[in-house]
Amino acid sequence: MSADNRVAANSPAGSIYDLGYRHYEGKRRGHWFAAWSLYVDSLRGIWGFGRPMSAKAAPFILAGLYALPAVVVLAFSSTISKSIATGETNPLDLPNYANYFGGIGTFIVLFLVAQAPEVVCRDQRYQVLPLYFTRAMGRFDYAMARLLSLVTALFLVLMVPMIALFIGDILMSADAFKAIGNELPKALPTIPSNLLIAASMASIALALSSYSPRRAYAAVGLLAYFLLVEFVPLVIYGIGHEAGAKWVDYLPLITPNTGLSRANDWFFGAPIPSDFSSSVGAGAYVLAGFVSTLLFTGILVWRYRRIAA
Amino acid sequence: MTLIETRSLTKDYGQVKALDRLDLGVEPGIIGLVGANGAGKSTLLKILLGLIPPTAGSASVLGLDVVGEADEIRKVVGYMPEHDCLPPDVGATEFVTHMARISGLPRTAARERTAEVLRHVGLYEERYRQIGGYSTGMKQRVKLAQALAHDPKLLLLDEPTNGLDPTGRDEMLDLIKRTGTEFGISVVVASHLLGEIEQVCTYLLAIDAGHLLQSAPISTFTQRTAVLAVEVEEGADRLAAALAGLGFKARQDEACVLLALDDESLYDAVRDTVAELGLPLVRIQQERRRLEEIFRDDAPAAGGVQ
Repeated sequence: MSADNRVAANSPAGSIYDLGYRHYEGKRRGHWFAAWSLYVDSLRGIWGFGRPMSAKAAPFILAGLYALPAVVVLAFSSTISKSIATGETNPLDLPNYANYFGGIGTFIVLFLVAQAPEVVCRDQRYQVLPLYFTRAMGRFDYAMARLLSLVTALFLVLMVPMIALFIGDILMSADAFKAIGNELPKALPTIPSNLLIAASMASIALALSSYSPRRAYAAVGLLAYFLLVEFVPLVIYGIGHEAGAKWVDYLPLITPNTGLSRANDWFFGAPIPSDFSSSVGAGAYVLAGFVSTLLFTGILVWRYRRIAA
Repeated sequence: MTLIETRSLTKDYGQVKALDRLDLGVEPGIIGLVGANGAGKSTLLKILLGLIPPTAGSASVLGLDVVGEADEIRKVVGYMPEHDCLPPDVGATEFVTHMARISGLPRTAARERTAEVLRHVGLYEERYRQIGGYSTGMKQRVKLAQALAHDPKLLLLDEPTNGLDPTGRDEMLDLIKRTGTEFGISVVVASHLLGEIEQVCTYLLAIDAGHLLQSAPISTFTQRTAVLAVEVEEGADRLAAALAGLGFKARQDEACVLLALDDESLYDAVRDTVAELGLPLVRIQQERRRLEEIFRDDAPAAGGVQ
């Protein structure tokens, strides 16, 4: 309390209140503005802006690690005289638009494990929710603003290496303008495919995180989900496939990383790898990604509809 | 306009009835809402804010229905919860600005209002430090500031003096009083301490177990609750008897004599009687009666004159 007393002594009450209290006569915006404000604040929070330096470490390091292979390709692009990003003349299976997420999507999981709890757990742990829900903000607005901020952040993480690959291909070509014209149509599918990845992964991570006020528990829960739902279906699929069972063909649809990698293949017209049954087409994985996004968004909205404030 | 109106408002939590057919009608002012823990104060506030729906009955705030027009109510109401509600790793300025924007204020206006309300609640250079390092008193100020940030017409404060030391409590009560009287913002203060409430309120609502116990201007309560405690090292029984003999309502409580303070002449009578009896006087103090004693019948009077 010493601080309070010091303040009171330094600044006698009279001089403070003599400034007078002015009522606010200006504009009052509605819930869309409130949701937009929360979205912006949330996006800043994911990257640790407005927070201590230590809060910036995890998101930037993990995003950097995800972009690293593309940056390496970019660095060596001048020594390679072939287009790498499109994967057309890519005998070494170097990183390209289509195989990038499938190759190191694990870093996306780690990014979510580190940052998704940050988005929703704080408000429950520190009981800030009543302050939001007694303002111009609905529960649906809250859930969607938080979700969209994570989708946006994840989309940025996913797109940085895509842009690096694109620049690499342009740099190694003799005629830059012609190269852009050639390359752009092949690069454009990265936008819808990575949007689907971002929406699907972010909705899973946020819906699960919203059930724990503790960041650590949420992180462990996310890691467990992404590992178990990834590998258990794949193991069962592997065993069942050998044994000739047909129903196991559908199991990879529910895996987050593998499933979204196959969906990614669809966007680039890449063939399904030979170790996956061709009876489930790449289009089915795209559909599975949409269904998963809707399902977990629903769980998130339902959670905030019911949560006590 | 009527500030708050409820018609047989009921909130049933299954086993517990937090509010039981509550009928209220309150005019603008500083309204004290007193009741023991669990009496239904917080439940009433949360229903008025639209945070929880009533089981039955209806309620309106500033003429707006709490179920149908909750969005409109939230624009003109500020709420300070009883519990902690501040994230520790942001500064007060950043937090209050954020909350002002969530209330619909554009960025510049939110910044200006934040500076103004933080000054109003008495937070200065420390407002840029992280809230986690604040004392309880400073945290309570930030909680009040976020409730004031969007210049509401009505403030709902749930136990605003919780955890404050006597100085901090007086400063908080002073702030509430200024907010209510100088700025024309109506305030509802929920508290279990009647002594605090009667210092600042113009109107008192007492609820117990979800029922309305009292609803009246504060003056009618203060008369009943003002008590003079006279502590002596010995002879409290003789003092009580002597004062009772003079026609005052007196009750002995161990080394203290409690007197109903309804007449200024009591002070003189106490001074003279103590002197006459030659008693070693320890203190004479005007006490604020705790709420439980209101719920009993007129404690000092019925407490048995010796």
